[in-house]
Amino acid sequence: MSLVRILFYFLSFIAIASALYAAASKNLVRSIFVFFVTLFALAGLYVLALADFVAVTQVVIYVGGILVLILFAFMLSGKETLNVIQQPNSKLFSVKKLPAILLASLFFIVLLNVVLKADVDNLSWVKDSVNLKNEITPNAIMIDNIGVNLMTRYLLPFEAISILLLMALVGAAHLSRKQVKA
Amino acid sequence: MNFYLTYFIVAIGLFSFAAFFALFGVYAERKISAFIQDRLGPTETGKFGSLQTLADILKMIQKELIIPAAADKWLFMLAPAVIFIAVYMGFAALPWAPDLIPSKINLGVYYIFAIISIETLGILMAGWGSNNKYSILGAMRSAAQIISYEIPAGFAIISVVMIAQTLNLQEVATQQGILATEKIKFAGFWDVSAMGGFLSWNIFRAPHLIVAFVIYFIASLAESNRAPFDIPEAESELVAGFHTEFTGIRFALVFLAEYSMMFLVSMIAVILFLGAWNTPLPNIGSVRLAAWTTGMAWGILWVTLKTLALVAVQMWIRWTLPRFRVDQLMNLCWKVLTPLAFACMLISGVWRLWLM
Repeated sequence: MSLVRILFYFLSFIAIASALYAAASKNLVRSIFVFFVTLFALAGLYVLALADFVAVTQVVIYVGGILVLILFAFMLSGKETLNVIQQPNSKLFSVKKLPAILLASLFFIVLLNVVLKADVDNLSWVKDSVNLKNEITPNAIMIDNIGVNLMTRYLLPFEAISILLLMALVGAAHLSRKQVKA
Repeated sequence: MNFYLTYFIVAIGLFSFAAFFALFGVYAERKISAFIQDRLGPTETGKFGSLQTLADILKMIQKELIIPAAADKWLFMLAPAVIFIAVYMGFAALPWAPDLIPSKINLGVYYIFAIISIETLGILMAGWGSNNKYSILGAMRSAAQIISYEIPAGFAIISVVMIAQTLNLQEVATQQGILATEKIKFAGFWDVSAMGGFLSWNIFRAPHLIVAFVIYFIASLAESNRAPFDIPEAESELVAGFHTEFTGIRFALVFLAEYSMMFLVSMIAVILFLGAWNTPLPNIGSVRLAAWTTGMAWGILWVTLKTLALVAVQMWIRWTLPRFRVDQLMNLCWKVLTPLAFACMLISGVWRLWLM
């Protein structure tokens, strides 16, 4: 086995194991911190796939931003609310959980279907781009490519997302404002 | 296989450098604070007290590792390691001299920016894991402060990146001296490609970057939790903030992380704004000072000297200015630094289009 393959299995194992722990753990804070391990392992997988920009962005946005926000939300919420969430629920299957189980299993089936049907080793578009030398080498500089594409081909989605984020910002500012008495 | 061996040697070398710097840094901090407050500082252990920090670390290693009964054991034990590793990983992408860089990645700046933000998580981990009011308060303050100050710091960095047109720190460094392949203009009009020296540093290539440099420097003080931004550990109100409960080698790791962070952020500032490993001496006619003082050893010397100078300024500020209140801290960040950093970014764009 080559080193890349060993690393791939190692990182995937960490990602899956930590994700399982995060989902199963009764200790909410701990599962948030374990989720950090999952995200980091995923960033490692992105690096292995030569998508280093995506990997670093993943760390910046998820680890530096979203995880810290989740922790903040957790630490700012009252103890009583958290105790209700943390109450041990011994039953694995119950009526309350039915929608979640359904959703999860359906999604799992979809994913399995994709994996089984994709036939990754001989995809036509992958072969085409290998033939056309239109592929990424480990030393390629990706940023220029990403920047140019964001500003030309994907400009409309890019701007739409920025407007969405602006709306979220304005909304958050409005919600967190003190009510002015009329 | 030799290939991998080099990696290990580089990693161990960087670690021992960080440890050595922390020892030296604590000693320097105590001497500088003593000088500023008109005291003597450590004098007993070794000549001029120079072995004081060595004695301190020996004491720390021998101390008992106490875990509070109510603490979350795993989080508590892992937190110092996470805090330190986050900072230590940042060292991987810093160039020390021409052709001397541990990892030549073309995302250098971005990578360091990402890795540093992991420290926040380590601090929150320490605060929560300790299960102590003071620790959690310190951790919350620290996290709030770091994520707020990442914004002006980020925009200051972006304004440099827009001038340099690359995220690769080695390329940013090369552009600021006589080894540059492109044309360098001092303040946008005077061609100094052949002269080099301090004239071709980024802050002089585009003078608005001086403002960006100051913004970055202030933000970096906040990110390394140094005074005047040390409300996370504010000893007069929070005992010692997020590291209240840590003893022995774990406490040493937290300290090691703080001092490594000081060096790391100063070195980033040096690389981005102050010419990295380039000499400050310009070529003047046939007196080719810049050409004589550029090279591997000179590079390491210059970058170390500049970084240590910035670290000294950090210490000077710490012992001169009083601590900020939380509201003052947030006001400064959101109402002063962030708009200024935005303005710098805008000017950078215009500068790049019309003057370079």
